[in-house]
Amino acid sequence: MPHVELDAITKSFGAVSVLPPLSLSVGKGEFVVLVGPSGCGKTTTLRILAGLETASSGQVRINGRDVTHARPGERNTAMVFQNYALYPHMTVRGNIGYAMKVHGVPRAEIDARVDEAARLLALDPYLDRKPRNLSGGQRQRVAIGRALVRQPEVFLFDEPLSNLDAKLRVEMRTEIKLLQRRLGTTAVYVTHDQVEAMTMADRVVVMRSGRIEQAADPITLYEQPANRFVANFIGSPAMNFFDVRIEDGAVMLGAQRLPLVEADARRLGSRRTVIFGIRPEHMRHSAHEARLTLWPEAIEPLGAQTLLLGRAEGQKITAQVDPRFPASVGQPSTVTIDMTQAHFFDPETEARL
Amino acid sequence: MTASAERQDGIKHLFIWPAFLIVLVVSLFPLIYALTVSFQTVRIVPPTPPRFVGLDNYAQIASSARFWGAIGTTALITFLSVSAQYVLGFLLALALHHNVPGASLYRVTFLLPMFLAPVGVALIARMVFHPYLGPVNDAMAGLGFAYMPFLTEKWPAIMVLAVIDTWQWTPFVTLLMLAGLQGLPQEVFEAARVDNIGAWRRFWGITFPMLLPLSVAVIFIRLIEGFKIIDTVFVLTGGGPGTATETLTLFAYNEGFKKFNLGLTSALSFLFLIVVIVFGTVYLAAAQRLTRRYA
Repeated sequence: MPHVELDAITKSFGAVSVLPPLSLSVGKGEFVVLVGPSGCGKTTTLRILAGLETASSGQVRINGRDVTHARPGERNTAMVFQNYALYPHMTVRGNIGYAMKVHGVPRAEIDARVDEAARLLALDPYLDRKPRNLSGGQRQRVAIGRALVRQPEVFLFDEPLSNLDAKLRVEMRTEIKLLQRRLGTTAVYVTHDQVEAMTMADRVVVMRSGRIEQAADPITLYEQPANRFVANFIGSPAMNFFDVRIEDGAVMLGAQRLPLVEADARRLGSRRTVIFGIRPEHMRHSAHEARLTLWPEAIEPLGAQTLLLGRAEGQKITAQVDPRFPASVGQPSTVTIDMTQAHFFDPETEARL
Repeated sequence: MTASAERQDGIKHLFIWPAFLIVLVVSLFPLIYALTVSFQTVRIVPPTPPRFVGLDNYAQIASSARFWGAIGTTALITFLSVSAQYVLGFLLALALHHNVPGASLYRVTFLLPMFLAPVGVALIARMVFHPYLGPVNDAMAGLGFAYMPFLTEKWPAIMVLAVIDTWQWTPFVTLLMLAGLQGLPQEVFEAARVDNIGAWRRFWGITFPMLLPLSVAVIFIRLIEGFKIIDTVFVLTGGGPGTATETLTLFAYNEGFKKFNLGLTSALSFLFLIVVIVFGTVYLAAAQRLTRRYA
């Protein structure tokens, strides 16, 4: 039985519909990440789950119980907010233990649980400080501690790492993931950062304008994106897309001919025009390669690899090549494309072919 | 130093001196003059030449029961009305913050009393609480109570004065507390709701402590203002019966502009200043301890 279920929920603010009917179920202990550009409805979905917003229609179930109209406090969820939402006038100890204190948990047990959480999150030295005397990362750890001492059914994370600097974000993302796995608590996590989504999730839910574009494990999302939007959103640098013709079992990009893999050729059948997608990192040798000439406009050496940004037959392209790849701006340069990694999308529906 | 820097240096005098002179003439000079007068007997009616008497004026005031009575009355009215203003003002601010129906209408009407001149308010109140013509006594008679001599007996009169001050200045507290409430971070309250902390605990555990520094400031402003109460007392009771409702400022007014005993009045003004400073300091010290502990 799914642990958390959203059953055809909708949400509109006045005349503006934010969520069309949206359904999603999350298994027990699963780490699900909702990801999408801003305004895609991911935060609204999370807030409906938390009870901070009420769905206009549809049903929310946690552990089989209908909580659609339950108050936030009655759902046994714990939420971590983007700007921490700590109680500024309480110490770290007070913040973490406040809910327990209000609910009449004995003093000794509060102390024990706060100490345990503090140890887990390396907050011991700061227990008597107030939030304003902590760094961003420490504050967010306090917020996480406050959530986990409640031993909730579900953790809800609303972009918890967005306010942290890049290095800390990488550390915290691992910490949160490990913690969730150790506790085995179901988690729903909202972010706009696809790297965060890919690295943390058991299952990633990609959203756009309130709709779920694809919900799958990170590797499936990367290897078999359901449509052009997902393909573009997942992966960095983003996938290249070209409007191409299909002729004689080959992709025709302007005058350049890229022979198709047999399976792809069969699948595309009699289609004449498609969108051809290839990731920058799939421009290297393979069993089935095709040569593509491009005109680099900028060269970005990143150390482990180099990015060529330029144009091929008038369309923009990014290619990831070896650091010592011989290329210079303005001079035509030929890369080998791994055609086994090619993606094709319908030009009308943008769905995967 | 370059030439232009020197010229700018000259300009600074142009900016500083007028302000300094105005402060000197309007504020410092009268203060110092009043201080010297407070050590003299200066009577205009009948005119007598000023005579240095040292601390006699102060001694005379300190030994008069009327002075201590005035301090007691002023402190009592201020304490009653500021307490009521704070509680009511905060409650109204909470109601407006949570958008009760018609909040935008209330927001304007609640502020109206604050815009009225205190003398006007006092004149209205004199009619409202009139022993025979006023609607309050009519209503009480209708409910079967005896007529109440609101303005001619000590305790009812003090209560009326506190009520009027409350009526006029609660909007001020509402306005500032509402601004404070609207400045609080929303997520903190959402976090508390998710953590199943009820509205009552949310208020006492989160809202109130977070607004404590603002509360301290608002109450302080009202305390200082409240101590200066004179217009309503002057119009409603004139300090009577006897001197039962006489406040410090009214006492000073009576000495200065009815008896024209200016030396004594100046001394009284300085004592008034000292009283306000003492009350203010005690209050701030207490408030600071409270803030350090809870906010």
